[in-house]
Amino acid sequence: MNDTSDANHPVIRVKDVRKVFGVVQALSGISFELNKGDFLTIFGPNGAGKTTLIKILAGLTRPTGGVATVSGYDVAEGDPGLRRELGVIAHASCLYANLCALENLVFYANMYGLENPREKAVQAIEEVGLRERMHDSIRTFSRGMQQRISIARAVIHDPSILFLDEPFTGLDPHGSNVLKEHLHSLHTHERTILMTTHDLPCGLEMSDKIAVQVRGRFALFENIDKLDKHRFEEQYFQIINDSD
Amino acid sequence: MRQYFHQIKTIVWKDLVTELKTRELFSSMFIFALLVIVIFIFSVDLSIVKANEVGPGILWVAFLFAGTLGLNRSFMLEKENGCLDGLILTPADRTAIYFGKLISNLIFLLIMEAFILPLFMIFFNVDLLSHLGPLLVVILMGTLGFCSIGTLLSSLSSNLKTREIMLPILLYPLIVPVVIAVVRMTGRLLTGEPLAAMMNWVGLTLAFDVIFIGVSIMAIDHILEE
Repeated sequence: MNDTSDANHPVIRVKDVRKVFGVVQALSGISFELNKGDFLTIFGPNGAGKTTLIKILAGLTRPTGGVATVSGYDVAEGDPGLRRELGVIAHASCLYANLCALENLVFYANMYGLENPREKAVQAIEEVGLRERMHDSIRTFSRGMQQRISIARAVIHDPSILFLDEPFTGLDPHGSNVLKEHLHSLHTHERTILMTTHDLPCGLEMSDKIAVQVRGRFALFENIDKLDKHRFEEQYFQIINDSD
Repeated sequence: MRQYFHQIKTIVWKDLVTELKTRELFSSMFIFALLVIVIFIFSVDLSIVKANEVGPGILWVAFLFAGTLGLNRSFMLEKENGCLDGLILTPADRTAIYFGKLISNLIFLLIMEAFILPLFMIFFNVDLLSHLGPLLVVILMGTLGFCSIGTLLSSLSSNLKTREIMLPILLYPLIVPVVIAVVRMTGRLLTGEPLAAMMNWVGLTLAFDVIFIGVSIMAIDHILEE
């Protein structure tokens, strides 16, 4: 089922989602909603459950409790329709190291059932500015280049929802800037983005909403225009210290 | 349905292209199988023991041990760079992922076996050519059974730290009925018996092939989920 989204029908609806791995409570009850075109950045220390939350919303793992719907699909049901709407960029590139950039993207274009997969792949590579390297093996790419091809992979099927799990990890300042430019271009009124990052200035610069996740729950969830950006870093570390 | 088969074909294409570039799977499987055959040729006195009696067991040991190497490596390539997650994030049905990997593994094993058979024939001085047709049928049935449950278990063990040990531990007990059947059939074929006289063993092998594929279809969803 896929509802048409507007302000009354959030694109992402998470209600009291919990996740337990054995004895470890990764998520302790997270609830929030995002509308179409929103850009939410989730900050939090390592082990806060940010990646677990993204994996649940992307359908890679099921919640232990609670309900989450993305674009009208219940994430626990594993509907392929949901995966058509999603693009995910993680710190792993999801690229086959022994294939070239073009072969990787042709592969994913075929898996998404796109028409003219080779044309779409070439176009996606051109959009991230790596046309001259499209026949080179991914193994020869720098971390920054791999992330750019990973972006191309994640958006080749024009998804309406993007999840980015610490996409700046391992990037040098130039690579981070290039990635930020791409993300700015991807953030449109038609595309909803959820990003996790440790980079406070970057997250504040790009987002409409921010959250601070600590020990598996949101300690803060706020619209960016209600936040004092100059004091946010202080506020963030205060939240982390209070949770300890 | 057309999209389903297209996804299977795409996964097989990707594995074949990767293997053509690296030759990693084939070379490791072939060298290992050859080593097994060479070791046994020096440890068995063929003037005392008939090649037809010991040969089938040796051949299938070579195939299965080498095949285990290939199965282990198959899903390891998907785990590299988080590619398995990338695959699961596509709209592909998880059984399509299973069948794509199964067909790839089957192709690589059959190619390795095609190279090993002539060498086995030479080293053990066994006439395979006069029984080639039925022998290939038996090899296909046995390899299919091995690959069908092996692909499922390699996807399971790829998540474990002790994956190289766990796959054989999980796989070999399950594959025993198929191994017994194909070794028996191979031995009897080499003595000149027709395949039609072994329909019990053929039926057993095919039944297990179907069971393994059926179980894999039912289980792959849960195994690929974190």
